[in-house]
Amino acid sequence: MANPMEQFKIETIVPLNAGGFDLSFTNSSLWMLITLLAVSAFLFIGTARPQLVPGRMQAAVELLYDFIRDMLRENVGKDGLRYAPLIFAVFIFVLSCNLIGMVPFVHSFTPTSHIAVTFGLAMIVFILVVIVGFARHGLHFFSLFLPEGTPLFVAPLVAAIEFLSFLSRPFTLAIRLFANMTAGHVLMKVFGGFVVSLGAVNIGLGIIPLGVNVALTALELLIAVVQAYVFALLASIYLNDAVNLH
Amino acid sequence: MPQFDPASFVSQLFWFGVIFTLLYFAVVRPTLPKVGKVIDAREAQVGSDLDRAEAAKGAADTLRADHETAMKAARDAAQAAVAQARETAAKASDTQLKALGARLDADAEAAAASLELALGSARAGLETTVAELTSEAVAKLVGIEITPADVSAAIAAR
Repeated sequence: MANPMEQFKIETIVPLNAGGFDLSFTNSSLWMLITLLAVSAFLFIGTARPQLVPGRMQAAVELLYDFIRDMLRENVGKDGLRYAPLIFAVFIFVLSCNLIGMVPFVHSFTPTSHIAVTFGLAMIVFILVVIVGFARHGLHFFSLFLPEGTPLFVAPLVAAIEFLSFLSRPFTLAIRLFANMTAGHVLMKVFGGFVVSLGAVNIGLGIIPLGVNVALTALELLIAVVQAYVFALLASIYLNDAVNLH
Repeated sequence: MPQFDPASFVSQLFWFGVIFTLLYFAVVRPTLPKVGKVIDAREAQVGSDLDRAEAAKGAADTLRADHETAMKAARDAAQAAVAQARETAAKASDTQLKALGARLDADAEAAAASLELALGSARAGLETTVAELTSEAVAKLVGIEITPADVSAAIAAR
């Protein structure tokens, strides 16, 4: 049975070295590039001729964009709409990476199953929150760490906890996405291995893990979408802290 | 797990940075705001259309109310006119009937009077005729000459 971790292996395609850093173009880079091309095609075709009564592609783009704008309007308010393009970019990147990683037969790779990439995404959100927070509120942004009505004698403890939880956000954001993607792909690979090993014993036995894998594929597609949604939702909730300070 | 191999971190982060920067600045920023503008324009259009429809509905409602009051007034006027006409007609026929009745009564009275007159003259004629006949019959049968005046006096005396 193939090692279920093998699918996550980074393979160098074009070796590249700059200033002692290994910047090689790898399979991860390739699939991120494919994602970029797919998203570009989607967005450029969808917005080629924006019309009041949208065509199919424009309606599809609008559906996703409206989804993000509604999420921001609900969680942040009117001021949050300024950040809709950035949150949309994060959302569509995660969604496309997750979904394209599910394409079978083409040796596809899921960049979002790697913590380096998800951490990069999480840092974008984190840095955005910090910049927006300080830009809008200056040093008053620190009051985020002291919820209103905290009794004075527990204030240091509360502030410490709040500060820690604030700092841990990029990590939880990164690990949640990476772990979900990794676990799902490992599970599919494991059951795929079962199909072969049990099928070799008896063809009828192989059907059972195959059926499980069919169900898992549907589940993974759901998780691919849900995790992109969760990532964007948490990003907008964190953004709300920066814009409105609780 | 290849995910925790730090050797690939720099390359992954570098390419992620490059591709996400491209995605945001070269793809999302030039395209998405166009759709956002269209969505806002559509919302504004739909809002103004709804407002216009609301105003038109209000105008239609007032028109219908006006029409209804006008219809009601016209109906009332027509009913009043009909009632009036009926009343005048009834009054006119009443007077006519009364006049006709009076004329008929007068005619009947006149007829009765002339009948009485005719009856009186007929009776008088009858009496003279009877007296003459009687006097002639007496003259022929008995041979006594008596005048009709005597006969009349004799009849009146009985």
